[in-house]
Amino acid sequence: MTTSTTTLPARRPGIGSWLMLIRCEAKMVARDTAGLVVPIGLPLLILVMNASMAADEEVVAGRSALDIYVLPIVFTIVIATIGVINMPSFLATYRKTGVLRRLAVTPAHPAMVLIAQVVVSLLQAIVGITLAFGVALVFFDATLPMHAGAALGVVALTIAAMYALGMVVAAVAPTPNAALAFGLVGFFALGALGGMFGGQDSLPDTLARLGEWLPFGAAVDALSHAWMGESVDASNILVLIAFTVVGGLVAALFFRWDR
Amino acid sequence: MNEPAIHAEHLQKRYGDTLAVADVSLRVEPGEVLGILGTNGAGKTTTVEMIAGLRTPDSGQVTVFGLDPRRDRAALRQVLGVQLQKAQLHDTLTVVELVNLYRSFYPDPRPTDELLDLVELGSQRRTRFDKLSGGQQQRLSIALALAGRPRVVILDELTTGLDPRARRRMWTSIESLTEETVVLVSHAMDEVERLCDRVAVIDAGRVVALDTCAGIIRRAGTAGLEDAFVALTGKELEHENDEENAA
Repeated sequence: MTTSTTTLPARRPGIGSWLMLIRCEAKMVARDTAGLVVPIGLPLLILVMNASMAADEEVVAGRSALDIYVLPIVFTIVIATIGVINMPSFLATYRKTGVLRRLAVTPAHPAMVLIAQVVVSLLQAIVGITLAFGVALVFFDATLPMHAGAALGVVALTIAAMYALGMVVAAVAPTPNAALAFGLVGFFALGALGGMFGGQDSLPDTLARLGEWLPFGAAVDALSHAWMGESVDASNILVLIAFTVVGGLVAALFFRWDR
Repeated sequence: MNEPAIHAEHLQKRYGDTLAVADVSLRVEPGEVLGILGTNGAGKTTTVEMIAGLRTPDSGQVTVFGLDPRRDRAALRQVLGVQLQKAQLHDTLTVVELVNLYRSFYPDPRPTDELLDLVELGSQRRTRFDKLSGGQQQRLSIALALAGRPRVVILDELTTGLDPRARRRMWTSIESLTEETVVLVSHAMDEVERLCDRVAVIDAGRVVALDTCAGIIRRAGTAGLEDAFVALTGKELEHENDEENAA
């Protein structure tokens, strides 16, 4: 065995490399035009379809149905579609096509791609929410949440919970198609139980209760409370935290870099 | 004593019941171009994957310039450039975006234009990866392998699936690598004969010959490398169009 090991600095890629990778992921996402329709277009459509009627219906003093029912659902849809459908489908494709494997033989750890994709997804969520909120404020007289801090906190927790679920999808889906299927089914199941199709009141009791214990329903409920100026239920917060932690752990356990 | 670029001793790797690599020992000197020749399933790719640290050998040892591919992973990544057989890239990024992305991973990368010139992709710089021809994608993959000025370059099935003209262009690119140690995995005789200083013939997970092309031919007592290969392994090498069913 040779002892004169060549000493080389085991340098990790620096900040320039991170920015480059984030820019590249952003370009990939932006060039996937069809993939932008759902997280940006669908929530806007739901907003516009419901806004004019809901805006006239005052539920509590100064807050309309638009503020406390429609906006929470719209925001949650933006976050859920990006986190549960789009992000995992990118990651599953990277694994399938060997992008992650190719990176594994460079000084860049494939985890850098994961993180860059999360950052870009985050930016996407911010764009989607800002757009929907902007339209609601300008055209439909929506109001700001009474508890703005609480609303922001809930949005942040919802992002964490949905992205953790998305990571589980990316971890367990064997192919990009499976990732898309799992993501879509997951999204619609969470959404249906969480009041996406006409409110939890219209669901059978058991299902409605189940929906509250899932991140979509919990997020909508919590955002609704923040808008009305009521205190957010601890159970909603717990649900979001629990999904973040458990989802993160499961994803970390099962994630494969290679096919 | 001169430190070898790559030193592998009795590498062995098993996948389930299949013994992919039974016993492979190699010593590659700095600056050398070593060909690894074998039929599909002979253990060529598994061997280079162990050298690149993508797979851990069940037994045996390998070092690259004294570095252990698993233990000294981060340091190895700085000196090693790899073109993988099946790896793909971010497919909606353009040639120049991919080159600059991969350059950003290294402390002292080769200039973008130099890399593009080396693989003759200067006029495709704004073309998206998914719009490149197979040969162009392969050439880009080589450019990325060379981005960090590696001391050792591993090229796996460099010209498989390329048309004759694209193969020749690729060969010219490889011939311009005079400083680097190159490991070239191939099942094309003409390629190995033209580019490699020495050849390791691998059959059923073992090195059955390791010599210059002339040395292998002389030892087998045959007219050419292809006959020597058949004499050594008892197998015919697949030709290009067999590749699809063999994968």
